[in-house]
Amino acid sequence: MLVLFQILFVLFALGGAFGVVTKYKSGVLGTKGAIFWFCFWIVVIGAVIWPNGTAVVAGLFGIGRGADFVFYISIAVLFYIIFTLHIKIETVSRDMTRLVRDRALESKKK
Amino acid sequence: MFIAIVPAFNEEVHIAFVVRALLDYVDEVVVVDDASCDRTASFAQEAGATVLSHEINRGQGAALQTGHEYALYKGATYVIHFDGDGQLDVLDIPEAKRVLDFCGVDIVLGSRFLGKDANIPFVKRYVLFPLGHVVNRFFAGMHLTDVHNGFRLFRGHVLDKLVITHDGMAHATEILALVKHHGFSYQEIPIHVTYHEYGQGARGGFRIVKDLIFGKFLS
Repeated sequence: MLVLFQILFVLFALGGAFGVVTKYKSGVLGTKGAIFWFCFWIVVIGAVIWPNGTAVVAGLFGIGRGADFVFYISIAVLFYIIFTLHIKIETVSRDMTRLVRDRALESKKK
Repeated sequence: MFIAIVPAFNEEVHIAFVVRALLDYVDEVVVVDDASCDRTASFAQEAGATVLSHEINRGQGAALQTGHEYALYKGATYVIHFDGDGQLDVLDIPEAKRVLDFCGVDIVLGSRFLGKDANIPFVKRYVLFPLGHVVNRFFAGMHLTDVHNGFRLFRGHVLDKLVITHDGMAHATEILALVKHHGFSYQEIPIHVTYHEYGQGARGGFRIVKDLIFGKFLS
């Protein structure tokens, strides 16, 4: 029987999966992105309903507990996401600077 | 043609004085107003400067690069970076130009540590600047007596390759890295700096290092 925490997590993950489908249909999310995020939420639901399943995967990587495995993977993924977001922000910032500069020079170059 | 580039952000107190003083030594003063909230732009214009206005604040590095592009467009033969806060002394310009011509170098860099008195705050002189030396060595591969000095005189053709991509204060280290990368010759000269305000502290220093590290990952 599912405990309250599992029910809440499953509902949250279902919401996430539903959001992926909605974003895909509206064209915000591409096919590859949609498949990745949909699979991600399915894996989350699976891990919440069958917590022992993560222990099996963790064992393959030489990690004792499934929860530890999820924790390590989460940290690594979060660091990667933060890094790529930072790079993206820097790139957008440089594009913005280029636009601001072009507008500043525009009047003087006429 | 000799152009002075003055990046300015909220410098209404000093900008007119700086522009008028510079006009005795250069042909054109370009004030790049980095979205100031005060009357920097109008004061600079009234004093006789050409004003380029950033609609959004982008940082000192971005302002200098805007000035570079204008100088290249105008075909400037000499370009000088000069702070808008009135801390630098225009009397150092003739000596810088003399060294540039006499020594035949591409760039003359100002230094606060080569003889002239400078009332540099204690923490800056003995903590931040030594750390800055280490950062410069690591990221620019150059050893200068003064790591972040706003006084720089260039031959015009240098600007074509000296493209600043760091919008913030990390541009000072980036400029040195570009000087080394392109093999430009340079000479440091003593200049006089009068501190009206503290400027950037340790927090700014950390930000520079952070920008330099992340800048390595961008093309």
